[in-house]
Amino acid sequence: MFTAIFTRGGQELTNIPRVVVTGMGTLNPMALSVEEFKEGLAVGKSGVNTITRFDASKYQVKVDGEVKGFDPAQYMDLKTVDRNPRAVQFGIAAAKQAIESAKLDMAQEDPVRVGVASGCMVESSYVVQQSERVEQRGPRRADPLFVAKSSPSAVSMQVGMMLGAKGPNSSVNSLCATGADAIGTAFNFIRLGYADVMIAGGADSSLDPLGMAGIDILGALSRNPDPAKACRPFDLNRDGFIYSEGSGMIVLESYEHAVKRGAPILAELAGAGWSFDAHDATAPAPEAEAYAMRSAIDSAGITIKDIDYVNAHGTSTKLNDANETRALKIALGDQAYKIPVSSTKSMIGHMITAAGAIESIATILAMNEGIIYPTINYETPDPECDLDYVPNVARKARVDICLKESFGLGGENCCLVFKHPRLLS
Amino acid sequence: MSVEDQIKDIVAKIIHVDKDIITREGSFKEMKADSLDIVQALVAVEEAFDIEIPDEEAQKFQNFGDFVSYVEKQVEKKGEG
Repeated sequence: MFTAIFTRGGQELTNIPRVVVTGMGTLNPMALSVEEFKEGLAVGKSGVNTITRFDASKYQVKVDGEVKGFDPAQYMDLKTVDRNPRAVQFGIAAAKQAIESAKLDMAQEDPVRVGVASGCMVESSYVVQQSERVEQRGPRRADPLFVAKSSPSAVSMQVGMMLGAKGPNSSVNSLCATGADAIGTAFNFIRLGYADVMIAGGADSSLDPLGMAGIDILGALSRNPDPAKACRPFDLNRDGFIYSEGSGMIVLESYEHAVKRGAPILAELAGAGWSFDAHDATAPAPEAEAYAMRSAIDSAGITIKDIDYVNAHGTSTKLNDANETRALKIALGDQAYKIPVSSTKSMIGHMITAAGAIESIATILAMNEGIIYPTINYETPDPECDLDYVPNVARKARVDICLKESFGLGGENCCLVFKHPRLLS
Repeated sequence: MSVEDQIKDIVAKIIHVDKDIITREGSFKEMKADSLDIVQALVAVEEAFDIEIPDEEAQKFQNFGDFVSYVEKQVEKKGEG
């Protein structure tokens, strides 16, 4: 009585498909490809730099994480370059990398079975410019690209157009949790039979004078002027996060579909969990974060003893890192002290809506390479942060099961569980 | 430069085609322009000549020549005014 019969293609869906990752792509402050990212992570390279995108002389914030040397024309035609803001160009480029690494050939796919789930954030200064223009010169002077350039659906729409993917096209936004949330959303589309393949992730280039001021006024950004040292998650002297830009996209597909087409299998996405703080917009609630972790663990059908590594949200703010540590202890109990926890953000800063996706890629690389990437700039322990943060130096380890955490500024939490492909058979 | 040449420059730049392929008989569709290209071209031409092309007029254009003729008339009117 209380359950529905769930049908897909006229058949009752009784077996939920397993979901695997078959391709990855990223552009971030440290790297313009997954290969370059992998090399940088292993040596604890920092991608943080002094602000060059705008004149920051009036700002207390002096450093950010900018994508360096990106040439959009390598990935798209000139009309697509003209039509899309930088964040969307990042998203298209990362999706192209991911599709290529997955060896996905759309000519062999049923287009309605391929979808996209991605979030993005673009520069708010553009919206302000348009507003001023229309106010001064009238409504006929609006940019015809206004909707395309400023909409939160820009990346999923453009990636879907580029691929000719006619399945679900969903634009997720939960601020700093967006990338992970989009991956979890795509996972559900496949699990519930709506798609065989989903391109999922996030793309962000909102680093502009207004975006920077708007986050800095909340006291969330580091004012440390030294790019090499400013980002220091879990360290006693951390003073805020580094505002960055970039994109991470992954190709998810049903295990069956991946095997059928002989796709490279990089990981299984085994579980996802969500929660919301419903508390204070900028102060995290560890109980809610712990609930998202437990929910992801439960959805993956694993126990806390199975987890080999946690890829933290680890922003480098006073509040996040202490509360994330508390949340890990609530969710994992004493086991929290035995599991290595590291922050990819220590090397590349916080790419807001792209962070969860780029860090998922780092997590999958850690499993495949058998290397736990470090938390760099960790010098002085904080009594409130007393776990094993893999300080400064990467560690060789067999990593089979990982928990990835992402927490949105505002209270949106999403956690994912990834497994090494060797556990599939 | 004639009005026609100026419009050709604007359109070629927006839809990323060679100016020489644009003829009075040709249509936006034949130039592989999509809906956004057309709106962008109309707005850019409005701005360049400081005229207004009402949507109901733009819908009547059968080819590039109709577009050019309409703009030429508006520019002429403006000159007289």
